[in-house]
Amino acid sequence: MAFNFNWSPLAADEDFYQRARDLLTTALNKSPKPPIIVDDILVTEFNLGSVPPDLEILEIGDLAEDRFRGIFKMCYSGDAFLTLKTRVQANPLNTYLCSKPSFTSPQPLAAASGLTIPLQITLSEIKLSAFIIVVFSRQKGLTLVFRNDPLESLKVSSTFDSIQFVRDYLQKTIEVKLRDLMMEELPAIIHRLSLRLWCPDQAPKDGDELKEDDKEGAINPLGTPPLDAVDAKGHLLDPSELSSLSLDGGPEMQSLFSQKNLEQLKALLSSHLTSSPDSPTLSESMYRAWAGVSDKLDAGYTTPATPNLGRSSSFQGSTHTYTFSDADSQHQGFSSSRSSMVNLSQATAGLSLGSGRRSMAGRKKKNRVVNLRRSPGAGSEESSEMGDSSTTSDMTSTASEALTTETILEEPVDIDMAAAAAAAAASAANKVRFRPSPDPIQPRKSLETEPREALPNQTVPIRLAEKPVQGGPSKDKAEQRSSEAKSPQRPGRPRSDTSSVILEQAWIMKMAGEIARRVYEEKHRNPGFWDERDEREEAPPAYEAS
Amino acid sequence: MREFMHYITNAFYSATGWNDDNTYKELNATARELIDFPIPLGLRLTLSSLATPHFATSYQLGSVGVVDGSLSYLHASVPLTGVAAQSDRIPLPALLRSYRELHDLGAFLASNPAGGAKLLPLTPRRPSLLYGRLYLPQALLEGLVVKRLSPALQVQLSAVSDQSLRNGGTLLGLIQLDRGRYGVEGLASSDGGLLGVRGLYNFGGDTNTTTTTSSPSPERIYGRFSAGAELYYGTLNKSGGASLGARFATLPTHRGTPLTATLTINPLMGNINASYAVLARDYCSLATRMEFNVYSYESEWAVGVEWWSRRRPAGFLLGALPEEGDEQGGVGVVVVDDTEKAEMKKWERSFQAKMEWRLDEPEPVVESPVVEGERAVTGQERYLGVFKARLDQNLRIGLLWEGRVKSLIFSIGSGVDLQRLDEPFRNLGLEVQYSS
Repeated sequence: MAFNFNWSPLAADEDFYQRARDLLTTALNKSPKPPIIVDDILVTEFNLGSVPPDLEILEIGDLAEDRFRGIFKMCYSGDAFLTLKTRVQANPLNTYLCSKPSFTSPQPLAAASGLTIPLQITLSEIKLSAFIIVVFSRQKGLTLVFRNDPLESLKVSSTFDSIQFVRDYLQKTIEVKLRDLMMEELPAIIHRLSLRLWCPDQAPKDGDELKEDDKEGAINPLGTPPLDAVDAKGHLLDPSELSSLSLDGGPEMQSLFSQKNLEQLKALLSSHLTSSPDSPTLSESMYRAWAGVSDKLDAGYTTPATPNLGRSSSFQGSTHTYTFSDADSQHQGFSSSRSSMVNLSQATAGLSLGSGRRSMAGRKKKNRVVNLRRSPGAGSEESSEMGDSSTTSDMTSTASEALTTETILEEPVDIDMAAAAAAAAASAANKVRFRPSPDPIQPRKSLETEPREALPNQTVPIRLAEKPVQGGPSKDKAEQRSSEAKSPQRPGRPRSDTSSVILEQAWIMKMAGEIARRVYEEKHRNPGFWDERDEREEAPPAYEAS
Repeated sequence: MREFMHYITNAFYSATGWNDDNTYKELNATARELIDFPIPLGLRLTLSSLATPHFATSYQLGSVGVVDGSLSYLHASVPLTGVAAQSDRIPLPALLRSYRELHDLGAFLASNPAGGAKLLPLTPRRPSLLYGRLYLPQALLEGLVVKRLSPALQVQLSAVSDQSLRNGGTLLGLIQLDRGRYGVEGLASSDGGLLGVRGLYNFGGDTNTTTTTSSPSPERIYGRFSAGAELYYGTLNKSGGASLGARFATLPTHRGTPLTATLTINPLMGNINASYAVLARDYCSLATRMEFNVYSYESEWAVGVEWWSRRRPAGFLLGALPEEGDEQGGVGVVVVDDTEKAEMKKWERSFQAKMEWRLDEPEPVVESPVVEGERAVTGQERYLGVFKARLDQNLRIGLLWEGRVKSLIFSIGSGVDLQRLDEPFRNLGLEVQYSS
């Protein structure tokens, strides 16, 4: 494996320098300037020089054709330079008056008259030494972050070099400014440049960052279609029809959701956000805050009459029930709720003869529960996953309704039974398996044990999935129940893909922070260490463990 | 437009016999006000009242995108009985006129040639003025205390309290000594520990007590020279500033065109500033200013003009000439009585004479001081508005019309940038003031 960094083609491109000058100029003029600077700061000359920086690869976290993540150590002592031009106010009384209220101004007659002096500053002999974290993906561009203060030394020469005091002041001020620029502005500039280079469609229009935030925050209501979708005339919609709908589907899309309900929910939400004295009450709804101990007790079984746990809807005369087991999920352990979810989805998949529904079950779905309260920590994660499971079961059942029309009448009963069985199994697990379930609040512990235990656990759903498919819809329920009862008792620590990514990222960030801290400490302990360490060939001590 | 509280403060000074012009700070006030007049921004309404002779209030409501406002109160220990504070009676030149005539020091010095301390007996022992203003959304508080310690000595203390300031506020103390022939000020500010001293010395003209008795000939320019200097030093930030200045201004007894010329030099920064202002007619003042920096070779110039009008504002805005309007009767809504008409005719005649550069034509109004004073009063009442304009070297134009409509005093202004013709109007503002 080899990397090829081209330094000179970058420097030879004249257009690149023009762009870089423009970007630097806008970055320097963005923040409000002190009154001593009376003109715009112009970047007149900028050259990266001919000496490339020394890059040392410390770690590569992720490597693929379209993405890359790694940590580098960079040392630079080249001949790059930068020249800035601006005009400064030389009269101290003038700048003194600028920031003061006019009412208590001494109102000098002519003593505050201005004298502006053009100032040219050249930054050269820049010495850098930094740990850089580079994250590149073809979709999101290049992100570059300095883990420590990169600037080692710098020479500032200006128009006022002959005056010792001014020279020292400029040197000090510019070093501080440049550190800010390197740590905060430069990553943004590089990100913008890379976006322009690799993904021109995402190329930054003005206020692009804001839009990106909005994109993540917005939830597509069609990503989670309603359980009993009806069209404008009240007829039930086919799932395939539903999927063909888009957000800008016109008026018929709007009627899928009751406007009145949406408005009520909006009013409720805004009343919480604005702490208004009265909050509107929603009829036939259950609030999380009301779910107490009594709900926990009857969490084991599901009846269509219980409004908070079941949700019933009529479909061609038959009744099927979906479990919305919010209340018990809050009291169950992390892993048990997960396993029951897997269990349930597998069972329904087996019943409805669906192929490829397993993957649907594994995919992350949007939460159907209207979460009016933000509960911190693992509780919300669990409840959302329980919401997933119910959605999944619903999806599979509706899909099976569409496919196997002849089993329509008996299938809802099956699902009902299966759901009851799953709930029973879950309650059993609640009693039996509370001790071995790992504490979800300690991710480090699960992180250590996870790689060994995740493998056998992941085979479980596959094996379970094979069984119902072979058995078909006329599968013996007792056997199914037994397999369901077995699976939650397995002391597995399941972990979804998304959480693994999060954990990995957290781990990398933690490691990087550790590196930076150690380097900083060592640098402080003996400054000579840094130089002699460069000659050594082996990895730095921070990486030996990993 | 001078703010109402500023007007009341000036009335306090004149009631206590304090000459506010005799300081170095006001050396080039005439040219400054003719050129750097403030242009209102956004909409601003002011309701003011001199409720009792001792107490004045003013409420201001402004809107520049956001609504803000201020409440201000003023208390004077001297009764301000002779002051016309109602906006339908308030003399417009006192509120709006930029050209400042010097106070005659002759009588002042003649009463006490030695320049002693006891000049005029003060009616209250030590008159004082208290002023406070609260800006509402910003919670910015301004306070001012003026105290006359003796006829020649006055102390001012002004303070601002604001959250955004470094120590939550600043304080400025000012001690002023006015001896007629010279005026000296010392100041100290809590901000940066700034200390300053400035002084003005008058000579020539009416200060020569020997020549005051002889009436000046009309040809000779009769005026007063003043010279002054200022020096500042910030004790905390170890910085300072200084300037020198000189002024020649004609005195009110001068028969020719009143003029004021100033020259200020900042020796540290190499800045030279020269200004010239002239009251070309009773209704027209002009001013020019030149600035040059000997170190950076930067220069600036600006001109300003002030034009008083006797017409109703609508007629003025339509651009009709006053004589035409009155004689044709086209805009005959204005009821002009006979005496006023006679005034106009007389005024027009002298205007004609002056157009032929016969400046020394004996005018009947100037002959006797009583008639002159009468004319001044009628002239003040005659004017309904003033138009001010300025132009600087960046081709930026400032336009302002101020005047009285019914019992409201309006001020409409705009800044125009000729270098950016795509969007020339930089700012636009309307200020309405009512006082009772």
